[in-house]
Amino acid sequence: MPTDESLIAAVARGDDAALAELTWRWERPLFQFIHRHTGGQDVDDLYQDTWLRAVRAAPRFDPGRRFSTWLFQIALNLCRDWHRKVRPDPVDPADIDRMAADGASTDAGIDARRLLAALPEPQRAVVVLRYFHDLGEDEVAEILGCPRGTVKSRLHHALRKLMELAQR
Amino acid sequence: MKLSCDEVLAARLLGGADAMVAAHVATCPRCAAAMDGLAAVRAALADAPVPTPPPGLSARVHHAAAPLLAANARRATHRLVGRALAAALLVLPVVVLVDLRVVQAVYAALITILPAALGAYVVASWAVTLTALLALTYAAIPIVAERQATALARTIHV
Repeated sequence: MPTDESLIAAVARGDDAALAELTWRWERPLFQFIHRHTGGQDVDDLYQDTWLRAVRAAPRFDPGRRFSTWLFQIALNLCRDWHRKVRPDPVDPADIDRMAADGASTDAGIDARRLLAALPEPQRAVVVLRYFHDLGEDEVAEILGCPRGTVKSRLHHALRKLMELAQR
Repeated sequence: MKLSCDEVLAARLLGGADAMVAAHVATCPRCAAAMDGLAAVRAALADAPVPTPPPGLSARVHHAAAPLLAANARRATHRLVGRALAAALLVLPVVVLVDLRVVQAVYAALITILPAALGAYVVASWAVTLTALLALTYAAIPIVAERQATALARTIHV
């Protein structure tokens, strides 16, 4: 079975079957990543833009790198651009208080989407990649373009904030 | 190895190092107090719905990517043709020099047995044929390279 890296090399040579194979392999993880990062807004467009940018940049793909890291990096950059342009509805921590008060218990009253949306973008990216995509610290650091220690501290701050919100 | 409080919270959320986490929590009141909040976070994240891509999304991507793939194929072909031509041009001076020397040697040999005009005619005809063959060879390089590029693009799925 061809590796992702050899498939993207074939995409760089214009092979549509290689692109079909790659999209089949990465459709779900990529879609879910974008969905969680943007809170479910404009996901289809961002998903498509990620692939189009990947196809365009395929000739410059460094074969020494891992394809998944590169793909998530493209998606993350597009999500960040999207956040800058769109400025999605800011989540007021008071909303979370209200939801928690409305619900029978804290666990049931808070939904993950709102919790994630309450985090600053860099912290949300770390939580999504570490928790939902089960990526290691090194890979997350490479995707985010920051040192491993920064990933750790962002996760730590995110956790503190999430716990604070969840306990209200 | 001992875990810090931050590492304990991360490990509790992400899973793993259960024994070390339990040992730490048993002796750390701060982490013990944080466990309820962390459990609420874990529960909320675990209950998060798993988004499913809508049907036809990848087909939409393939349709939109078709012109980009065609552009990639063109660029890959141009690169291969360029490299093949560069390699061929690199050896061209040597080929021309060798041909020239051979033609001179044949001409020198011919004029010893034939009238000079006839010898010149034979050698000139031969030189023209050689030049034509060389030109044909170089003209074929882009065609062969293009075919090779197409074959290369398909290699992975053969």
